[in-house]
Amino acid sequence: MRFVLRRLGFFVITLWAAITLNFLIPRLMPGNPAQAMMGQYRGRINPQAIHALEIAFGVNNHQSLLSSYFTYLGNVFRGRFGISLTFFPDQVTHEVLQALPWTLALVGVTTILAFALGTLIGLLAAWRRGGTLDSLMPPIFVITSSFPYFWLAMLAIWLFSIRFHWLPSSNGYSITDNVGWTWTFAYDAFKHALLPAMTILVTSIGAWILTMRNNTITVLTEDYVRMARAKGLRPWRIMWTYAGRNAILPNLTGFAMSLGFVVAGAILVEFVFNYPGVGWMFLHSVESEDYALMQGLFLLITVTVLTAILAADVATVILDPRTRDER
Amino acid sequence: MRRALLVLLLAGVAATVWTAVGSGAGAHRSAAAHRSAGGTSVTISNEQGATWTCGYNPFNASLIDWSFGPIYESLVFVDELKSGAATPWLASKYAWSNHNKTITFTIRPGVKWSDGKPLTAADVLYTFQLIKKYKALDLQAVWAVLKSVTRNGSKVTFKFKTAAVPYFYYVAGQTPIVPQHIWKSVKNPVTYKDSHPVGSGPFTFASCSPQVMKYVKNGHYWQHGLPKIDTVYYPAYTSNDPANQDLASGAAQWGSQFIPSIDRFYLSKSKDNHYWFPPVSNVSVFINLKNPILKDVAIRRAMAYAIDRSRVSQIGEYGYEPAANQTGIVTPTFKSWLNKGLAKKFSYNPTKAKQILTKAGYKMKGGVFQTKNGKSLSFTMINIGGYSDWVASAQIVQQELKAVGIKVTASNLSSTTFDADAYAGKFDLMYSGNEAGGPAPYYELRQELYSKNSAPIGKTASSNWERYYNKKVDSLIEAYAATTSSAKQHSIVDQLQAAMVRDVPIIPITEGVDWYQYNTKSIAGWVTQKNPFAKPAAYEVPDWGVMLLHLRPKG
Repeated sequence: MRFVLRRLGFFVITLWAAITLNFLIPRLMPGNPAQAMMGQYRGRINPQAIHALEIAFGVNNHQSLLSSYFTYLGNVFRGRFGISLTFFPDQVTHEVLQALPWTLALVGVTTILAFALGTLIGLLAAWRRGGTLDSLMPPIFVITSSFPYFWLAMLAIWLFSIRFHWLPSSNGYSITDNVGWTWTFAYDAFKHALLPAMTILVTSIGAWILTMRNNTITVLTEDYVRMARAKGLRPWRIMWTYAGRNAILPNLTGFAMSLGFVVAGAILVEFVFNYPGVGWMFLHSVESEDYALMQGLFLLITVTVLTAILAADVATVILDPRTRDER
Repeated sequence: MRRALLVLLLAGVAATVWTAVGSGAGAHRSAAAHRSAGGTSVTISNEQGATWTCGYNPFNASLIDWSFGPIYESLVFVDELKSGAATPWLASKYAWSNHNKTITFTIRPGVKWSDGKPLTAADVLYTFQLIKKYKALDLQAVWAVLKSVTRNGSKVTFKFKTAAVPYFYYVAGQTPIVPQHIWKSVKNPVTYKDSHPVGSGPFTFASCSPQVMKYVKNGHYWQHGLPKIDTVYYPAYTSNDPANQDLASGAAQWGSQFIPSIDRFYLSKSKDNHYWFPPVSNVSVFINLKNPILKDVAIRRAMAYAIDRSRVSQIGEYGYEPAANQTGIVTPTFKSWLNKGLAKKFSYNPTKAKQILTKAGYKMKGGVFQTKNGKSLSFTMINIGGYSDWVASAQIVQQELKAVGIKVTASNLSSTTFDADAYAGKFDLMYSGNEAGGPAPYYELRQELYSKNSAPIGKTASSNWERYYNKKVDSLIEAYAATTSSAKQHSIVDQLQAAMVRDVPIIPITEGVDWYQYNTKSIAGWVTQKNPFAKPAAYEVPDWGVMLLHLRPKG
């Protein structure tokens, strides 16, 4: 219990630090959003409009840094991140909530899938070390993981959509679709997610397989495994509850971290496949100096990563009795 | 050996399964078929690097592109590619009076908003009062020159502070008219999204998601029988490759973006694929005239001789953007304005460049010229690092200046930093094509040369970034505003060209173009070089609405 409480305290302090940094960093960058927007237009509107834009964005509103910090804190706790400059005049919260489901569905599901599959393959491969599975799967996926992502994605697009026309090459759904909870739309969205999901899976699964395999091999040499064998337990049970349960511990924290980073989206994936998620939104907010959107996204990521780590810590306490340091 | 065989076998099985699954799923294409259930449609591919906000407020700089043209219309349509030829639109006629200080528009009868209510002169008056009340809405800064707007029956009269002929383009051609009965209940028009716009244009809002905007035909449209296209799809592209891919495959029929090696990646894909890149404004080297060394016109002249503009065009811009000339007149778009004698000056001649510098008293030392005080002619040229074509072009400029003994260091900045530096005048040299152009060469020249568009170093200059101050040029620019006579306007532009050649305040290098690709397989009526009835890029407002009006199903 004390362990969990200590973790909770740590969580709160980190969160505060993150929120404060989140406030400061964008304000240290040069330029102002009105100029950024003029730049985006590359001469398509009257140059005089810079003044109109400065008024619209409230540039030079002469608020002191300290007072804007407290306004910011108050708004953060009410879930208000203000008006986005990229999606002017839309609310940041609204924009992020629109993009988030796409990223959660695509990157979230594939991350969980990659972890589950990778762990399973790693465990089985280690269990039958030198067997067919062990000599086949880890090498293949380690090789695919080391491909540069964009190259693999381009190859997949060329092969599966341009050459064979099996799967759509971009977007989250067909542009002629009516967005809604219908089977046709769900099927269409699924088809559009297949190619990006496959490429993420292929490039991320290798790491899980390798670490799980190596952890399991180390665990298998432990005395308690030998003891279990000596007791005559079923191999199946030894693999799961003796070897697997212990070998998965280090992987768990890694998994929690990557779950947290799901909300950051997969910038490259969303860029290559033109996917309407938060990944490219993140990139775009930095490029166009959209303080409000940047802060909203940074905070979202920080909170999710911290929560995920906290959850992983709790899970470790449950799985591993050694961490329950109650006296 | 056995293991290798197994690998091969497994791979084979996997491939077979894939084939089965793939063909079973059906080979649907991601983008729209041209003829959907609702009739003819056109799909636009205009990469914005962003998803849609689903707002249509035409007074919002980031939303105006999605509504001004097809949904909201202007009083008059001004065709920039035909030297500003004006077509009466929501106004059926107009007349200047009081020494070109007053203009009166007669509003066209029988025009209806898409909700069926009539459009009247009161709506026009309301629109201009709205952008007067909220300065942030006045994107064309029309109230900087307007004195008053009044209505009398179906007539709306605009009074200007001074003679204001060029402002016709902004007031009549670039200001969207909105319905009073909708907008009067809007609490804050600055932050208003206008997600279900009611306009007078040929199309209305059908649906929108961050990924695609859909427009359908307006049943109440005042030009009877038009439009001939039923649906417009405008998908969002966050990067260039998918956008180019959709164009090449014909999934999108109207493109407005840069395609590298366009002959191979686009033209060769179908005989129905075409493109045309009409030049609209210059991409130039801006020279900071407040710099103590660059103040000397001899250096600027030497630079103008030293740069091989056609080489920059060929290598830096794939030949898509033609070479510019020192007069600042974009050709062939504005060729009737060009003074051919002046345009020939400063054609590439590096030897002459060196001669000029030597004659002006600069001494070559170690390959670089020096001033009498021993300062090297060494400058920094700022550029936008994200525009790969500008980076390549700037590199060639840099090499060529080096060849005549002027050292230039490139500084590739983020567009935000670049703009901040440009506006504040914090640069020696600047590679930029951010001027807006207009329906005649005068508009760009005024942006570049008029002292009222400038500001002291450190203060925001709206477009005269090189800080050029010349009283004679200012009075020429003001004189143009007072005349509707084409002969007088030509004579003034001629003198402005002379100033460009005499003072070399900036060096035009290439001519920025409108990016435009189109597919004629099932749709006809596109803008062509022979019939330039509107600027053809989908990002041109309100021109893209006019383009959509002309499109029709083929056969």
